[in-house]
Amino acid sequence: MIIFMQLRVNVTEFCIDFNCMKIPSSLLGFFNEIGAASRFVSRYFQEVVQPRYEVKQFIKQCFLIGYRSLPLIGITGFIMGLVLTMQLRPTLIAYGVVSKLPVMVSLAIVREIGPVISALIFAGKISSSMGAELGSMKVTEQIDAMEVSGTNPFKYLVVTRVLAATLMLPVLSVLSDAIGLYGSYLGVNIRDHTSLSLYFFEVFNTLKFGDVLPAIIKTFFFGFAIGIIGCYKGYNSSKGTEGVGRAANSAVVISSLMVFIIDLITVQITDVLGLN
Amino acid sequence: MAKETLNNIKLGIFISSGLLILIVSLYLVGRNQNFFGSNFYVRCRFSNINGLIAGNNVRFSGIQAGTVNQIQVIDDTTIEVTLLIDKKMKPYIHQNTYATIGNDGLMGNKVINLTPNMVPAPEIVDGGLLYNKKKPYTDEMMETLSNTNNNVEVLSRKLISTVEQINNSHALWSILNDTTIPKNLNVSLSNIKEATVRINDMSAVITDIAKDIRDGKGAAGSLVADEKVANDMKQAVAHINNAAQESEVMVARIDSIVKQVQQDINNGHGTAHALLKDTMLVSRLNNSMSNIEKGTAAFNKDMEALQHNFLTRGYFKKEAKKNKKAMKE
Repeated sequence: MIIFMQLRVNVTEFCIDFNCMKIPSSLLGFFNEIGAASRFVSRYFQEVVQPRYEVKQFIKQCFLIGYRSLPLIGITGFIMGLVLTMQLRPTLIAYGVVSKLPVMVSLAIVREIGPVISALIFAGKISSSMGAELGSMKVTEQIDAMEVSGTNPFKYLVVTRVLAATLMLPVLSVLSDAIGLYGSYLGVNIRDHTSLSLYFFEVFNTLKFGDVLPAIIKTFFFGFAIGIIGCYKGYNSSKGTEGVGRAANSAVVISSLMVFIIDLITVQITDVLGLN
Repeated sequence: MAKETLNNIKLGIFISSGLLILIVSLYLVGRNQNFFGSNFYVRCRFSNINGLIAGNNVRFSGIQAGTVNQIQVIDDTTIEVTLLIDKKMKPYIHQNTYATIGNDGLMGNKVINLTPNMVPAPEIVDGGLLYNKKKPYTDEMMETLSNTNNNVEVLSRKLISTVEQINNSHALWSILNDTTIPKNLNVSLSNIKEATVRINDMSAVITDIAKDIRDGKGAAGSLVADEKVANDMKQAVAHINNAAQESEVMVARIDSIVKQVQQDINNGHGTAHALLKDTMLVSRLNNSMSNIEKGTAAFNKDMEALQHNFLTRGYFKKEAKKNKKAMKE
């Protein structure tokens, strides 16, 4: 721990001599970040199960994170469904399988596009706001003030936000899927005519649990990653307004990247389980 | 406080709608995969399942009936497929129902089609084994399609050469480009039409005539139907035959006479020779004929004088009146 603390202090230098080895400071900075983030995550899991539970704050965060994000994610989902349908249609016509349009669009939206696009929009909106909000609180020493007043700032600020993000993104993703499929239905009806019941019959005739459940489960991980990265970046932002901006920016970038990494891992797992 | 309550309500609606959509979706997906409701198992065996996997649909006469539950290799030529079928379909699936592996569309997933057999059989039991029926697989169909394509290619090549020949035919194009042909054709058609009408009329008339003849009406009818006329005809024909025989005899006689005359002429004997060959006789005859003409003219003058003579004039007037009366009658 002492060595780790020393390393954290000296990472600003170009490189350090560690057991007669020249290690670049960027690599040390990376490991330092990983270590700090791991500690942050482990503290989260400790705090989330321990009473006292900040239920009111949690519900408030659910409202702010989930409900307030619905219009943005809903519009995105609708446009994605519509555009995907209109883009796929000429190709399917070329192969003479235009009747399979609901099948292809539903699989694309439910398995991949719905969860990933929702998560990316969610990361852009929520992760940056968390980073900026907690960063501002850190800069203005509100977090320190909370500690002094006896309130656990981690539980009050971080746990509630991360938990709300973890639980709200699946709900948003399901709603985004539904809105996207409706957008796709309208996209089909721009050129052809299909009844709503026939369209959704085709959709649900295609989908299997192997398509729906992994997609829903991975959104919990997306939500958790977005929440924890946003909170970590804000909670550990450096002093000054520049630090707040950097925290918000890096929160968005890293959480977006994490969404894709988690998606990659999920695809591998579902492939191994034979769900693809 | 009121705002917080309102926010809570909004959040509740948001979460409930999300969960409701999720639950409904999962239910619909599960219902299609027979996760809910009561099911039973049926087995069928194939030598080649052609890419069928667990989870593929099972259809009974085109109706979604269940899903493929499990695929097991029994031996090197037998693969056993276990089907999970909706219990509602059980009364309709009999022990002799055929199971075939098909495609959902040309490029779709594999499906198992259950086809009922017309021969009556007991209802299938849980875990029962169905018959399988080999259907032509896509590869076989593609092979047939390839052969058909080759035939089409040959046909199209021949068709192209035929079309080229037609295109290069000057005679055909001159006929096609001739604008008078359609007019002439129209005229010909109208003539044919008129002729047809006339032929129809004629045939009607001929039919009437034939009917009249059959009924014995008219000369032809009496000729055909009247026995007396037929006998007369026979007699007439017999007379004609006799006349022909007699004329033959007569012609033979005339022939012999002509020959005799010819002989006399050649030998310088007889009247014919004198008439045809003797110039003196001819000049005498001419003189005699001119004397007769002169005599006749003088006789005519005498007769004219008699008509004007008061002694004979009455007789001639009487004769003239008698002739007039005869002419009037």
